Amino acid sequence: MTQSNNESPENWLNDYGDILYRFALARVRSEATAEDLVQETLLAGFLAFDKFSGNSTVRTWLVGILKHKIIDHYRKHSRELTLLNNDESANDVLAYQFDQQGNWQVDLVEWGTPDKSMDDEQFWLAFNDCLTRLPQRMADLLLLRTVDGLETEECCALLGFESDNQLWVTLSRTRVKLRQCLETNWFSKE
Amino acid sequence: MYKCKEIIELTSKGMDSSLPWATRMEMKLHFLMCKTCSQYAKQLQFMNKALGALEGHSHVHSENCQLSESAKQRIAKKMQQAKETVK
Repeated sequence: MTQSNNESPENWLNDYGDILYRFALARVRSEATAEDLVQETLLAGFLAFDKFSGNSTVRTWLVGILKHKIIDHYRKHSRELTLLNNDESANDVLAYQFDQQGNWQVDLVEWGTPDKSMDDEQFWLAFNDCLTRLPQRMADLLLLRTVDGLETEECCALLGFESDNQLWVTLSRTRVKLRQCLETNWFSKE
Repeated sequence: MYKCKEIIELTSKGMDSSLPWATRMEMKLHFLMCKTCSQYAKQLQFMNKALGALEGHSHVHSENCQLSESAKQRIAKKMQQAKETVK
């Protein structure tokens, strides 16, 4: 495959800089850190460009590099991150959804055929917004585990969970919160 | 017998690890009897699916948020330096 001029590294910053920046910002929630990650990604891409096979687009390839940089970021900063774990109890949500005996006391909104939502740009705005509203460590956990596929053990180490059980409980509460937010911000509005 | 509150926790756990056979059977039975829990489980599955597709859609996260000019200049300079080093 021949490289068109458009794909030469000089144009990456203009063509993909903002896309990479938004991707990074959604994960790390700090503008300065997101900027650093974009820089590291573009430099790494530039240095490894001869290894780019052309089997994917440059954009996909760069996003792949960025994903590794994000995980590296968590690995380097795991100790600082553990200090930020406040506001994680989902007791507020759980308390009104369940009675004392642990049975549902609300009806869930019918989501219809949610797959259709995935074609709607507005849905993704709502989805990203709900992820941003999660407490930082909860969002980190959910994304590192389900999107990046890190092992339980590593998630515990990176995010400062003391036991697997604490991780499972937090992951479940994260989903409770995310589900509730999607229901309110999207599925109740259709 | 598990309570609904325990079932939703197990549902979440079951998405990331394998649960014992007996637990899975008890959950299946619970889902047959409890519409809300089975609805909850389906919604979690959808959320997992959406998370899997997130990579292609994180760009819609606030379209107006962009790299600042100063950051762009800084990165362009670093790229330039790297290019000269490689030469």
